[in-house]
Amino acid sequence: MARLEDIPEPTRTAVANIPCPSFDTAPFVHGPPLSQRRVAIVSSAALIHRGDRPFPFGSGEYRAVPGVWNNNDILVSHVSINFDRAGFQRDINVIWPIDRLRELAAEGVIGSVASTHYTVMGSTDPAAMVESADGIAAALLADRCDAVVLAPV
Amino acid sequence: MLEERGLPTTVLALILPQVEKTRPPRALMLPFMLGRPLGEPNDASFQRRVLLQALRLLERADGPVLLEHFPEDNPSWFDRPDWVPAVSLQIPGTPHAAAAWEAAFRIELAAVLPVWARFKARFGRTTVGLAGQPPEAWAAFATSFLNGALPTVPLHDTAALALRFLADDLKALYGEAVQADGAPPSARQIDQWFWGRTVAGQLLIALRGVALESENNALKTVGGRYFVPVPYLPS
Repeated sequence: MARLEDIPEPTRTAVANIPCPSFDTAPFVHGPPLSQRRVAIVSSAALIHRGDRPFPFGSGEYRAVPGVWNNNDILVSHVSINFDRAGFQRDINVIWPIDRLRELAAEGVIGSVASTHYTVMGSTDPAAMVESADGIAAALLADRCDAVVLAPV
Repeated sequence: MLEERGLPTTVLALILPQVEKTRPPRALMLPFMLGRPLGEPNDASFQRRVLLQALRLLERADGPVLLEHFPEDNPSWFDRPDWVPAVSLQIPGTPHAAAAWEAAFRIELAAVLPVWARFKARFGRTTVGLAGQPPEAWAAFATSFLNGALPTVPLHDTAALALRFLADDLKALYGEAVQADGAPPSARQIDQWFWGRTVAGQLLIALRGVALESENNALKTVGGRYFVPVPYLPS
């Protein structure tokens, strides 16, 4: 097993002890079978289009990742230097499984893939992302999405 | 937060303590390194198994908190003993003057660029592109910081950010080049090669030293935290 124990100190302790919000509620939304679901990805990798400005440090904003973007134009602007980059250098699907979702949709395993996906800067305090959660949720519901894969980096 | 707003979610999780604290409705715990939540690059069937197990959680009705563990390791976690870097370089010395750094880095980069071109041709992609300037401009730009200059580029607001994202691009270009040929090395092998065997790695360590001494607080922060990973800091 990797991998928390393989992160060098002091980062390992910082990651393990990072303040996390606890939630008073335990929402659990039911939905139709997977074959009828419309699936979106929300990534914490601070993804940008080639040529766009990176996410500022500590930014609570969210940005759209339209499905029409070429995989080679999607760059990671996450602030941390403590995660592997060699994997997604070769294959973006190792953090952003867009091609796998499209294959599952083509085979009918899932219903369809969202037209637009979303991304945030994962190192930002979640308390600064409440408005972003509102914005992402409204956009995904307007696109008739009823499944979200939350992908870290 | 999205579930509360009416959207069913499933998490690809890499850090167990965070999952235990936040208790998301559905999480698939993955035994992979940070940066590879789908596990294995260029292995569609492996990635599909990860994604499908996470998606299948959406069909379970026995919430409100579901946690499953993915049963497989990703094969590329392990070092490849027979790996030979795609770029053959001299073990770098440590120049003392900015001009000497610039000359040494230019020579090395000229040797790395054709190998990087092979990576781009093989994989059809590159993650280089955050610096806001082409590789040909990097040597003069980066080494000018050694003389106390604080240059910037139109894409970034400050010298600190310009140098920070140049460092990202530099690591990406070398990391891609060294994976250009043959079977991929482990992530650790790439890091050990970059920080131990390249002028570029030594230059970033030197720039970190300059940044830490700088009166520019943004550069001090960026240099201290975002150039060199902890295991490769000079002792």
